[in-house]
Amino acid sequence: MADLLATKIALVLGAGGLGGPALLGLAAAGVGRLLVLDEERLEPADLARQPHFGAGDLGERRAAAAARLLARQFPAVEVEVVERPFAGPGAVELVCGADVLVDGSGDVATRFAASDAALLAGRPLVHGAALRYTAQLLTVRPGETGCLRCLFEAPPPPGAVATCAEAGVLGPLAGLAGALMGAEAARLLRGERGSYAGQLVIYEARRARLRAVPVRRREDCPACGAARAAAATATAGTGAGAPGEGGAAAWA
Amino acid sequence: MGLSELERTRFARHLSLPGFVPATQEFVRVARVQVVGAGELAGPALLSLAAAGVGALLVDDAQDLAPEDRAAWPYGAGEVGQPRLYAAVAAVRAATPLGAVRPYATGTNPTAALICVSSAGLARDAAERARQAGLPHVVALGDGEDGEVVSVPVGAPCYRCGSRLTKAPPRPGPTAAALGTLAALELLQILAGLVEGPGGRRVDLTRGLPQARATTRTAGCACGRPRGT
Repeated sequence: MADLLATKIALVLGAGGLGGPALLGLAAAGVGRLLVLDEERLEPADLARQPHFGAGDLGERRAAAAARLLARQFPAVEVEVVERPFAGPGAVELVCGADVLVDGSGDVATRFAASDAALLAGRPLVHGAALRYTAQLLTVRPGETGCLRCLFEAPPPPGAVATCAEAGVLGPLAGLAGALMGAEAARLLRGERGSYAGQLVIYEARRARLRAVPVRRREDCPACGAARAAAATATAGTGAGAPGEGGAAAWA
Repeated sequence: MGLSELERTRFARHLSLPGFVPATQEFVRVARVQVVGAGELAGPALLSLAAAGVGALLVDDAQDLAPEDRAAWPYGAGEVGQPRLYAAVAAVRAATPLGAVRPYATGTNPTAALICVSSAGLARDAAERARQAGLPHVVALGDGEDGEVVSVPVGAPCYRCGSRLTKAPPRPGPTAAALGTLAALELLQILAGLVEGPGGRRVDLTRGLPQARATTRTAGCACGRPRGT
């Protein structure tokens, strides 16, 4: 199985509290190539929830610090720092270059952009977030399960949702969510369905309470509709499998 | 002593949490945690507790670093074969200057214990020592792809009552880091007084899904009697 994973590529958004542990988990599982995208620099307040970094990394770009850590611990793993913002032109092409997308970004707009790009690229998405005492996880399988827009319809208006800086997060909870995301992505790359596919899994740490909310595809979801249309166009043009729904077969 | 400016900055995300006041972080700071084990599960737990502001970590481990231990966050590929204890201490010291970390020794007087060892027998023995010493403790044990984390605050049903793993489990798989961070999360909440609901609980991690249940005392177990009787 390690040989199979050695041929796989994972694109990880964020190298902080969620993305960092996910990267370490993917490397430990034997994934051959990791693409890391994180434009933020490490700040002192990050360290309580990003224990894979040390005080010596303060001020450095998180993606570069994560790449250095991975090279030290897993020299056989190829790590590439992606030097561009995720959202915007080229996002779908970027996701097409990977076998799985892991979204550990801490930003609502990026989360929706990741979900949209994963659908259009026909690649599975592992989404995660941690805020206050609660973590949430969701796996989107394009063409099969609901996406972020099926669940929330659209990003909330700016300022409507508290950020991690405003609402806080209990440090090890982010690490737990990130480690679970890495393990989930490894499951997908091994050809498994994924434990969070089609359900938003919510873990509240103080009561250790788990809830699972089914996430079904909405017929009127604009993102799923765009992916269907893109897949149909590509299939009509080539007569072969294509990104979008058709591409889902490549990783199912 | 109140929190320093450095501590207020470092723990700003904690201090924004509901129910988490500066005194809560001070409770964490005065904790002295004996960490039994320094491998795949304990590595992420050590770094998580240090980053969360635990005042002193006392590492108790006698193994050398194996190739599999690279799954633990603190260790580099070039450290295989070295004593894990010293590698763990060096890694935690490099991560944060705020807390202390040193090898566990008699007389270091821990206030809590985190047990992350590789066999059910070792886990039971270490947990029983912690119970006898009156320490709140958390025990994490991997079981291949899955595993469990048992929280034992003072007075709660003991680890032997709460655990479902009785045989030698297979080596922890890709979820080792999740188990380690979950164990750190559970212990941090005990130290900070954040746990809601029944104090003694077991969280089973099955294919990435953490399911908790309150632990119950086995009839006749010695943990139901006052200490020392």
